[in-house]
Amino acid sequence: MQPTPKGLRILSWITAALFAVALYLVFFHAPLEAVMGEVQRVFYFHVAAGWVGALAFLVTAVAGAIYLARKDRRWDRLAVSSVEIGVVFTLINILSGSVWARPIWNTWWTWDPRLVTATVMELVYVAYLLLRQGVEDPDRRARFGAVYAIVGFLSVPLTFLSIRLFRTIHPVVIGSNDPAAQGTFDMTPLMLQTFMFSLLTFTFLYVALLWHRVRLEGLHERIEQLKLRMLSG
Amino acid sequence: MFLQDAPADTAGYMILGFSVILGMIGLYLVSLAVRWRNAQRDVQMLEEIDAKPPK
Repeated sequence: MQPTPKGLRILSWITAALFAVALYLVFFHAPLEAVMGEVQRVFYFHVAAGWVGALAFLVTAVAGAIYLARKDRRWDRLAVSSVEIGVVFTLINILSGSVWARPIWNTWWTWDPRLVTATVMELVYVAYLLLRQGVEDPDRRARFGAVYAIVGFLSVPLTFLSIRLFRTIHPVVIGSNDPAAQGTFDMTPLMLQTFMFSLLTFTFLYVALLWHRVRLEGLHERIEQLKLRMLSG
Repeated sequence: MFLQDAPADTAGYMILGFSVILGMIGLYLVSLAVRWRNAQRDVQMLEEIDAKPPK
């Protein structure tokens, strides 16, 4: 049995505490939004989940580039772990956005540039995970994954900029809204505090999950090595 | 919405939204724990087999 590193245990407990505080802030500290009502509270975690998705894919692209330069498998481990977390949190972002949209836009889904680019980004990284499964040789898989991660990262700024470049009904949190945007609101100081704290909490959650996931990837590699040794021996 | 004097009653959607968010994070944590346990078991078993002298 591999013991959990002390740093990871401490990080996990800090993250759990931060998460509890973030929930408190969302439900009891942030005021009720005057028009949208309770569903607006989804916004805090919806944006934070999207932030984790983008951060995770950025880490993957950087790890991919470093892998190509150094050929050190630890960077590939980091990249694939980060993609998995990014895919989970981007899905949370898309689904929670859909739940918010139902009462505000009167539809679960619309072909808005933000929704489309976010979904395309999600599919790009789901494909990354699926395609990796199809490559047997670990070095080839890592090299292929690194190149894919760098090229695939183009979908991240495209998603971020989609509501700033194209005509959209999706609200913009940072920057000015499109006049056609529906569901916009002015953030009060209490809302802003809750929003910033949620971003911080989800960043901690990402780092904690990444550390756990990288350790799991290490075990998977060990299993692969043992199997290869037994087959060759 | 301009003539609205009270916030819309959207509590049901808020509950659904947080169920999705917390449910998916919970599921991912469970998936990590299960995969970790299974991988530990596999490593242990393979190391035992690997350590056995060939007959």
